Amino acid sequence: MPVRVLSTQEMKLDSEDDVVLIRRAVRALADRRGFDSFASAALTTAVTELGRNVWVHARRGKAIIEELEDALKPGLRVEFRDEGPGIPDIDWAMAGGNSTASSLGLGLSGTKRLVDEFHLQSEVGRGTTVRITKWKRF
Amino acid sequence: MMLSTREYMNRLGFTEQELASRRAYFQLADEDLSRLAALRPFAERHNDAVVDAFYQELILKHADSRLFFTDQASLQRAVAAQKRYFLELFSGACDLDYLENRLKVGATHQRIGVAPKWYLGAYAHYLRLISTRLLAEKGHSAETQGQLQSIQKIIFFDMAIAIETYIAAGMDALARHQAAIRELSTPVIQVAEKVLLLPLIGTIDTARAMQVMESVLMRVVDRQARVLILDIAGVPVVDTRVANHLLQTTEAVRLLGAATILTGISPQVAQTMVQLGVDLSAMHTRANLEEGLELALDLTGRVIRPKEK
Repeated sequence: MPVRVLSTQEMKLDSEDDVVLIRRAVRALADRRGFDSFASAALTTAVTELGRNVWVHARRGKAIIEELEDALKPGLRVEFRDEGPGIPDIDWAMAGGNSTASSLGLGLSGTKRLVDEFHLQSEVGRGTTVRITKWKRF
Repeated sequence: MMLSTREYMNRLGFTEQELASRRAYFQLADEDLSRLAALRPFAERHNDAVVDAFYQELILKHADSRLFFTDQASLQRAVAAQKRYFLELFSGACDLDYLENRLKVGATHQRIGVAPKWYLGAYAHYLRLISTRLLAEKGHSAETQGQLQSIQKIIFFDMAIAIETYIAAGMDALARHQAAIRELSTPVIQVAEKVLLLPLIGTIDTARAMQVMESVLMRVVDRQARVLILDIAGVPVVDTRVANHLLQTTEAVRLLGAATILTGISPQVAQTMVQLGVDLSAMHTRANLEEGLELALDLTGRVIRPKEK
């Protein structure tokens, strides 16, 4: 059964406050689609991590939020796109415990554990795209 | 804090260079300015009638805009200011002083709460009244056509400045509110001797995290605190950055000789932090504030016990 996209919305991200607005939009959708509070917390935390990454490393970008449906199972997909410096060594960045921005360095690896699907694409000098998906549990 | 017009000029980047680029963009040439200057006597002759007409026809006919004039004196002041303001359109000058005067007008309107629709509506009305009179006096000709275009150019040039000032002033108001909220939401409370409580509420952004850390450290020293309780029940999301701030605060507080107790962690936040891989073993943790307080008293050698009968 193919994944159907029920809705798509795009939000700009060019300030730290935009990270909060995007998170609130995602949380509202998660609640509306009946995600349990644990899944909702995991997804909104993941969105915060990735949104902050865009803000810290690229200063601007956007988030594309999609409501999905797969065999009547609701899901949410959020894609962050920026045209920032890109990630030179993805394996290193994903290994965890590494940090370039005085944080804990767990952002990417930790975020991956919070969601069901995680896809990262980055090119140095061109930008980074991270796409995450979370499905509602039964 | 209100900014002075000079500061606004800087903020909006109103420099000689910007002025030149604006004039080019609005195609406001020297030729237009000399046309306007040549129209000055015409404007002086009609200005009173035009401004009075637009107050009668426009401003005072609308309940919302009439609200700005509660008494006759303020109405007269506004009308007089407006007359001076419109005459300046025909000054033939368009330098930084001109820009600053226009900016002042925008800032004043924003401050007293005149919505841009009234400002723009008044301009449109003024433009119509003055062009009707110009055409009546000088007839349709290539010359009047050119004059009307010059008036239109300076008016659009002016409106752009005023609207930008509106927006900048609005952003300032927003920033002031945000600063006020930040200040309000970081109270460090002494709950017992040597025990401080910091209830964190809302989103912890970079600026707030810094402020929180600084005020906490000062209070720990002031009060010679031994324990700091950080309650995060009101924090919607604890991501690695927030966790990092908590850990840094804990480390700094430890250097001052005090321990940190983290309370108010919801089951959802607890699970999320484990999945993220955040290690908070450097701090004591308790599920709620009540248990956190018990631990804090325990660490400072005290207990809460029932009153003896």
